[in-house]
Amino acid sequence: MPFVAIAYLIFLAAPVLLLFVGSFGEVWSGTLLPSGFTWRWYQEVAGDPSFRRAFTTSLKIVTTTCILNILIGLPLAYAIHAGARGGVRLAARIVTLMPIAVPELVLAFGFILVFSSDALPWLGSFWLLAAGHLVLTLPYTVTALVADMDQLGLAEYEHAAATLGASFPARMWDVTLPQLHTSLLSCMLTVAALSIGEFQLSNLVSGFLSRTYPVVLLQAFYGATGFACAATVVLLGLAMIASLTSGLTARVTGRRKVGAGA
Amino acid sequence: MTLRYDQVSYRYPGTSTGVFDIALEIGRGELLAIIGASGSGKSTILKLLAGFLKPDTGRILIDGKDVGASLPEARRLGVVFQNYALFPHMRLWENIAYPLKVRGIAKQARRARAIEMLGRVGMGKRAEDYPAELSGGQQQRIALARALVFEPQGLLLDEPLSALDAGLRLEMRDEILRVQRQAGIATLLVTHDQEEALSIADKVVMMRDGRIVQIGTPRELYETPADASVAAFVGQSNLWPGSISGDGMVTTPVGALACDTQGKSIGTKVTVFVRPERVEPITGPVDASNPCCFAGSMSADRYLGPVRRIDMAVAGGAIRLETHLRGSITGVTIPHDAIRLLPPTS
Repeated sequence: MPFVAIAYLIFLAAPVLLLFVGSFGEVWSGTLLPSGFTWRWYQEVAGDPSFRRAFTTSLKIVTTTCILNILIGLPLAYAIHAGARGGVRLAARIVTLMPIAVPELVLAFGFILVFSSDALPWLGSFWLLAAGHLVLTLPYTVTALVADMDQLGLAEYEHAAATLGASFPARMWDVTLPQLHTSLLSCMLTVAALSIGEFQLSNLVSGFLSRTYPVVLLQAFYGATGFACAATVVLLGLAMIASLTSGLTARVTGRRKVGAGA
Repeated sequence: MTLRYDQVSYRYPGTSTGVFDIALEIGRGELLAIIGASGSGKSTILKLLAGFLKPDTGRILIDGKDVGASLPEARRLGVVFQNYALFPHMRLWENIAYPLKVRGIAKQARRARAIEMLGRVGMGKRAEDYPAELSGGQQQRIALARALVFEPQGLLLDEPLSALDAGLRLEMRDEILRVQRQAGIATLLVTHDQEEALSIADKVVMMRDGRIVQIGTPRELYETPADASVAAFVGQSNLWPGSISGDGMVTTPVGALACDTQGKSIGTKVTVFVRPERVEPITGPVDASNPCCFAGSMSADRYLGPVRRIDMAVAGGAIRLETHLRGSITGVTIPHDAIRLLPPTS
């Protein structure tokens, strides 16, 4: 068993390692490993205006998607948790899970059809792209939050807080939200990871000036191998930064709420 | 400060279960316990008072004011929940100070008040701990302190001891009673444990199928139960179907018994009820001429420490008794004043 596990890990890590090695290699054609060492490819990626723009766009899209997920996903999950019984709960579940079941490509064509019309001419705008990412990530947030809310037994804490004299907003702020912070943290990690790597929908609905990093990255593979490797390593770094930041943000806000307990 | 239910009914939507025609009053400093099997409606009564449910008909009055329409947060009632519901992310003093916080009391003042309450429940040194670091009994004390710190108009205890070990349960029972007496507050205790109710309540309410079967002091419920269901739920009992066979005589499967028939006419169906500790054991020869004596053999002998609970197999049935005697038992006497006649079970 350990052998299988190790072999699988190597299988997983090897391409990433090769990308990393390749991004510093001067020449790489036909051989197993590249030859020479250079920073050139990173400098080229950093100097390329379309890559620079895509990098910032991606960061903005991830941040916006995370914020929208909290603003919309949290109340939605709470409403399902607190209010819905039986049939309504099932319906809410189906609706929230729909975007996962429908292929992204279908969703993207739907967006193109609706938002290229004269009435709603928003195709290619930043906010439409963010909305697309929201639709794709919201199911994960809502599903995870509802499960955690049910499992935490929030109802009893809220009842207790009510009998102690806390109004609905006070109960939310003092009792419900602080208990959900770990849950929110893991949701944001998932959302960030999904959003940063999203390609299918972004490729179809983003405008020329609002392309995300993965969309632009595709073009790198038509050029030099080293450049493609460096550009991909940057995406990896971007994904890690996004995950870490969203994780840290959730943790810090969570802790602040804990501190504000009484 | 009194708590009163005035002909309150509540039916769970889409079902036929709920509580019906509840009339109760809990006076200042009084502890009223509600007992009954699961599903008898005892928790529903608590939820109606706490404000988690709104009565369909009738009024709920706190200190004479109808609170039927007001929210739980406006009722000023301290509630101790079955699993305590201490906020896991707050320190103990913060938990206790929370009701003061939402009432806008300054941090220093509410902290001082919380620490004082901690001392009152014997947890003075644990102010900075979190609930997860406490045992069940300690969490119970904190929950009690939190429910009382804002000087509520009533205290509601929802199965407060059911999550504790047997030994700790006895200790906490006394602790709850002590704190309740000290606060002098009208208290509603919901429990399925009849022994707990008998031992600490001033008044006990027995519920069945959403209705009150009997209200009385613990002694009244134990000694003069309203019907066989109360007798069976509260303590151990012998219950036999019987019918009046003459003035002062009743026939039962175990034999004819002499008792006060309260002028009931011959042939009236009754349930004959005798507490096991009122049945007197016979260790020697049994006097067969005495109609209240029964010879028999022990079919079950349970050792409970202070007493033995014995089932005597006699001609026509079994008689249960409790005795502190350790030797072999050859028969029993049922004294006429130990017998009560209850309505027949349908």
